Amino acid sequence: MNEPAGRAAPLSGRRHEKPSALWRRIGLFAVLQLLVVVTCLLLMQQAPPTPPAAYAIRSATLVANGESTQVSLPFLLHSTFTMADPPVFESSFQYHPDSAGTPWAIMLPRFANAVEVRINGQNVLDTRLDPVANRQLQNPSVIATIPDTMLREGRNDLSMRLYVWGPLRGYLDRVFIGPRAELSPAYRLRNFLFSTLPLIFKAWQAILALILGIMWLNRRHDVAYGVLGLTMVVGVLQGLAMTPLTTGVPASLDALLAATMPLEAALMFIFLVLFFHCPLPRWTPLLFLPSLVMLISAIPGDPALVRWVYALVGVSAGGLFMVLCLFFLARITLQRGDIVSLTLSCAITALVTAWGYDLLVATDILGHGRIFLSRLSYSFLLVAIGAGLTWRFAHALNEVDNFASRMVELVGEAEEKVRASFAREEERSRAMTLAAERSRLTRDLHDGLGGQLMSIVALSEREAGGERINQAARAALRELRLVIDAMDDMGGDLLLALGSWRERAQAQLRSHDIQLDWQAEQQGLPLHPELRPWHVIQIVRILDEAITNAARHSGAGRVRVRVGSGRPDGPEASGSGGWISISDDGRGAAPPPDLRVPVRKGRGLANMRARATMCGASLDIVIGGSGASVRLDLPATFPATPLAEPAVAASS
Amino acid sequence: MDPRAEHAAVEGPIDILLVEDDLPTLERLRDALDAAGEFVVTSVATLAEAMAKLDAGMPRILLTDLQLPDGHGIELIRRVRRASPGTDIMVISILGDEESVIAAITAGATGYLLKDAVPTDVAATVRELAQGHSPISASIARYIVRRTQASGQAHAEAERRPALNTAKLTAREIDILWGIAKGFSYADIAEHLGLSRQTVPGHIKNIYRKLEVNTRGEAVFEAVQQGLIRL
Repeated sequence: MNEPAGRAAPLSGRRHEKPSALWRRIGLFAVLQLLVVVTCLLLMQQAPPTPPAAYAIRSATLVANGESTQVSLPFLLHSTFTMADPPVFESSFQYHPDSAGTPWAIMLPRFANAVEVRINGQNVLDTRLDPVANRQLQNPSVIATIPDTMLREGRNDLSMRLYVWGPLRGYLDRVFIGPRAELSPAYRLRNFLFSTLPLIFKAWQAILALILGIMWLNRRHDVAYGVLGLTMVVGVLQGLAMTPLTTGVPASLDALLAATMPLEAALMFIFLVLFFHCPLPRWTPLLFLPSLVMLISAIPGDPALVRWVYALVGVSAGGLFMVLCLFFLARITLQRGDIVSLTLSCAITALVTAWGYDLLVATDILGHGRIFLSRLSYSFLLVAIGAGLTWRFAHALNEVDNFASRMVELVGEAEEKVRASFAREEERSRAMTLAAERSRLTRDLHDGLGGQLMSIVALSEREAGGERINQAARAALRELRLVIDAMDDMGGDLLLALGSWRERAQAQLRSHDIQLDWQAEQQGLPLHPELRPWHVIQIVRILDEAITNAARHSGAGRVRVRVGSGRPDGPEASGSGGWISISDDGRGAAPPPDLRVPVRKGRGLANMRARATMCGASLDIVIGGSGASVRLDLPATFPATPLAEPAVAASS
Repeated sequence: MDPRAEHAAVEGPIDILLVEDDLPTLERLRDALDAAGEFVVTSVATLAEAMAKLDAGMPRILLTDLQLPDGHGIELIRRVRRASPGTDIMVISILGDEESVIAAITAGATGYLLKDAVPTDVAATVRELAQGHSPISASIARYIVRRTQASGQAHAEAERRPALNTAKLTAREIDILWGIAKGFSYADIAEHLGLSRQTVPGHIKNIYRKLEVNTRGEAVFEAVQQGLIRL
């Protein structure tokens, strides 16, 4: 478990540096503990719930050892062991039944150890039969409805036999007799405080013991959890103990079960030491010595012996261990100055205060209704610690979750990076593959097809009438160069492709004695990172077609090529992707001398449009009297795949 | 300072050694050069014959194909470049593919001639070369400038291309190459860069010379021999 208290910086350095801080801590600690003690004492001043005083019986005649004495209640018996011949408290009360027939009841808020009540000689109540009522440390109170038939109008006799077993002395608080409805609220409140509440605490302890046990089973190195779980188990078992009125080994064991305080206090000390990641002292096993003594005392099979040993050894050892815990926590608080140990020390102080109070009550120095508080406060403390630990555990789980989600986030980011770099790598390797493919293809074309075509060109030049073959072969060579050129990585700059094209077009036009007037705006064409080889091929073919038309059919002497990205002097630009225009000073619309030409030309124009459409470009062809003009407006973004024909409605 | 420039000033016919194994092409080029009237052409079809001619003396201009039946034209280029710094060397290429042309340039060639160039262009190109102009094509310029970009970022692609050291090129020379790659004319380039039009060919010649690998020539040759670079 990530325990901040355990990780706190060691004190030694700090203590030497800042002695004032230590004194401040000591002062704070002392004041806080004092405050806790005072608060506890104030709370203990609160009177336990009691029925209206009008119904109280305050005096009785005590018949003991054959002597009768007038006593007032509450009364503390001086002899401690009177099981065989119990003292009897004789008293009387007035009964006046009302018309509604309200049932009457008798309530004994506090008695020690057991009482048998008779009214007019008839048995009404015997607490010896109720094992819960026999548990003196749990402050039992009883209530019993008195049957109408037992009561007489006027004076009624009340006799109570008080059974006492050691080691504590017998005690009888005031007795209340009256309408049941008047007595019940106080009884219910007492029952809740001293019976139901402890039961609830026991149940919680059981649940926490289970949770802590499971935690420890899964995290064996967190021994503190196991120890605290064990402490709780012992507490739960203690709650199950009955108070036997018989003797024998089982009865002794039962009594032993009720006497777990030294064991629980020892375990609490071990838990605290482990919880704060301190080494266990070498004398730790000695802490179990009182428990061992208790165990040995159970061997003779006399519950009374166990109870006596417990009263003498167990209780004092338990209190001593609690004080030990307090000292340990004080040391931790002063050394580390952490809030957890301070809080725990306050709780232990309250517990020690309750223990001291109980000691005073048990030794009859304090009366005050003979209420014992340490068991109740101890249960509460255990539940609080357990709940706190569980909360811490859940908190730690949250931290783990946060850490995990942070990790997931980081891993996601890293994955994204890897994927991106993988994509980059893939893109690079694609480019490399393309480059390698291109150079391989170039070599093959160069060595094979190119050589053959070149031979055709050379041969056709020597043959008479080989002009058309020569042209076809040259066209094929141009085509080869175009394809190879387009495959090169232009970095999205179409002008780089046009640069090579210009050389080819110039050579082609020169062979027709046509001058190429090429002018590109200084800023060139906008960059198109999405430019792919097939775009380049389509665009260059459009330009080739325009040049070929000009060379073959126009009779022009000069072809003008303009390239730019701004608004040209011609028709308005349709996109921001740049434009290319080709115009000649040839015949234009005038009928060419060659009859076959219009057919070819028509097909050529349709091809040009189709190519422009595929690239998302718009094509304007104007054939006027003073020559033909072709203008290609490039799209802002080239399409990733060829567009269908009707996507662009080119008007001619 | 520049031995080749001195040669350009020499009067009289210019002797050319033409090495080409494809007979129609050989005849075509020879005819084109002969027709110009100012060249004395010696034509051979194999590396061995060319080497024999070189033994007799270095030509003023060497025009050679790279793929020869008995070897690589690049051997010829290396030998001539070493033995005769004043000789202008041109590679005869069908498609002007960059890898072979660049390899020839690093070995010492200062230009290339397309096989299908029309006869007048052939003569004009050779004449310009003899006058000290080293023609450079858009695709070759593109190849070089893209390599100057790639070398800065250790492009993986660069690893497998022929060794080309562009580090010595100045920013202005790279600007000129960009202009050529994009199809701008010398006049446009000069105007854009604030140069005199006449100085552009000189810059281009400097570019060629800087790309020539003197100390690494052996390495390139080895690479060619080992098939690392196919020509």
